[in-house]
Amino acid sequence: MTSIPPIQPQESRPHFVEESLYEVHKKVHPRAVSGIFATWRWALVWFTQLVYYGLCWLPWNGRQAVLFDLVERKFYIFGLVFWPQDVIFLAILLIISAYSLFLFTAVGGRLWCGYACPQTVYTEMFTWIEQKIEGERNARIKLDAAPMSARKLWLRTAKYGIWVLLSFWTGFTFVGYFTPIQNLWGSVWSFSLGPWETFWMLFYGAFTYLFAGHMREQVCLHMCPYARFQGVMFDPDTLTVTYDTERGESRGARKKGVDPQSIGKGDCVDCGICVQVCPTGIDIRDGLQYECIGCAACIDACDQVMEKMNYPKGLIRYSTEHAIEEHWGWKEIIAHIVRPRVIIYSAILGAICLAFVWGIATKANLRVDVIRDRASLAREVEGGLIENVYRLHVINVSETPHRYAVSVSGLDGIDMVGDRIIEVASASAKSFTVQVRVPQESGNKGANQIFFDVKSLADETVSVHEKASFLQP
Amino acid sequence: MLKILWVLWPSFLVAGIAEGIFFTVIDPQELYLFGEPVHLSKIATYSIGFFGFWFVCAASSLMTWYLQLGATDLNKGKGGVAQETGIRGKT
Repeated sequence: MTSIPPIQPQESRPHFVEESLYEVHKKVHPRAVSGIFATWRWALVWFTQLVYYGLCWLPWNGRQAVLFDLVERKFYIFGLVFWPQDVIFLAILLIISAYSLFLFTAVGGRLWCGYACPQTVYTEMFTWIEQKIEGERNARIKLDAAPMSARKLWLRTAKYGIWVLLSFWTGFTFVGYFTPIQNLWGSVWSFSLGPWETFWMLFYGAFTYLFAGHMREQVCLHMCPYARFQGVMFDPDTLTVTYDTERGESRGARKKGVDPQSIGKGDCVDCGICVQVCPTGIDIRDGLQYECIGCAACIDACDQVMEKMNYPKGLIRYSTEHAIEEHWGWKEIIAHIVRPRVIIYSAILGAICLAFVWGIATKANLRVDVIRDRASLAREVEGGLIENVYRLHVINVSETPHRYAVSVSGLDGIDMVGDRIIEVASASAKSFTVQVRVPQESGNKGANQIFFDVKSLADETVSVHEKASFLQP
Repeated sequence: MLKILWVLWPSFLVAGIAEGIFFTVIDPQELYLFGEPVHLSKIATYSIGFFGFWFVCAASSLMTWYLQLGATDLNKGKGGVAQETGIRGKT
């Protein structure tokens, strides 16, 4: 047994956590950057936002192509209609998203954070507006420090004004996925928006404004749950934005054209541009940090400097821990992508995707719920027959109206009273009552299994064979 | 300010999840309020439901924050144990 350590007087609780969080944060003014990764980031901004702002306007079969109709409790996604009963697909979709995230992160680090996360995308858009109105990084820092003047007031008003417009449009679009957007657009102009629609529009818009305009990297650093656990998906073969310390150090200024080795220096000229472009305001040269969202802005910036210095590019680059240690090139890095972790994530992801596609492809176009009327158990009717009453809830999940033939079987002499042909409009449900009659001598005393068959008249393959129980007294 | 966020933000996230699960399973029209069926519009029910969830989750977060205050935080300014030295009565 190990000896018990002597009890030490406990020092007062360290407050560094609070203090570091309470530190008055310095506003990060990222310097604009261009390059291959900046182009990728902008491509993703365009792609995600064209989808987001545009998809809700797309018509489909006389309705909105993508509409999460909360009032009718139906989700329309192009040709598919999802009912609350289809929640399993939502669950599978969430699992697919989670595993995709795991896989991408294991292979390429924080690709999601750096390129596709709405926080990144909107921050990028808001910063672009800021830069167009207030100028580049230095001009913005100067403007922040300057006392209020007519010019500053004008610039600020213009910036906040455009931010507000963009935020409002974002909020409007958000609500447009839950309420048909054409009607919503009409309501805006006739001032007849519902109170809750107005509220959610402003709520979502205000959050966009606050997160993308003012909080920015603070959201990633302090509010994002993913940023805190993404590290567990990393391993020494994960691609991350990496500073090549061996090549860069010791850093320092030098004249152009001087061979760094002759003055005992590495390739880093210590220009600090990698820090200036960083949207979270960190220094990548300190190594991998949870604050790094993997946007690769520092790679673009450093490559430009290296080019000017006539040094090879890639002092900061996408690389892996192993690759830096072992001086691997891309060939070895790619060869190490296939590893147990990646194989397991891919296998699970592949299996779930197949299950999802199979589930969607074989999704029933017709659903029938049979509910026995509990108020009247079983009663004798004319002709010595025993009658049970059922409610049939027929859901037409498809996009076309259907006429269905209803029949019952399972006991000798079984028959039904009520509609034998029912019509259900597209993507809607109908409930109706059916009286089932059976001769007294048929079946056993107590519960007997019977079957309802509901078949589409137009399409024989659309049918449901649903069991129910018939009570013989 | 940050303490407020510690309470409001996690509860907001969890409320969103809870809202999604709850109303996927339960149709707002099946709800009863003080024995009466809920007459509000569905959007109103969803919205009020969300704020209800948020409020409950925030209460839980607030409790967590409150209970994880350490001894030094609680002794602060009460004139009892001198928190810096840990020795009573030493001035």
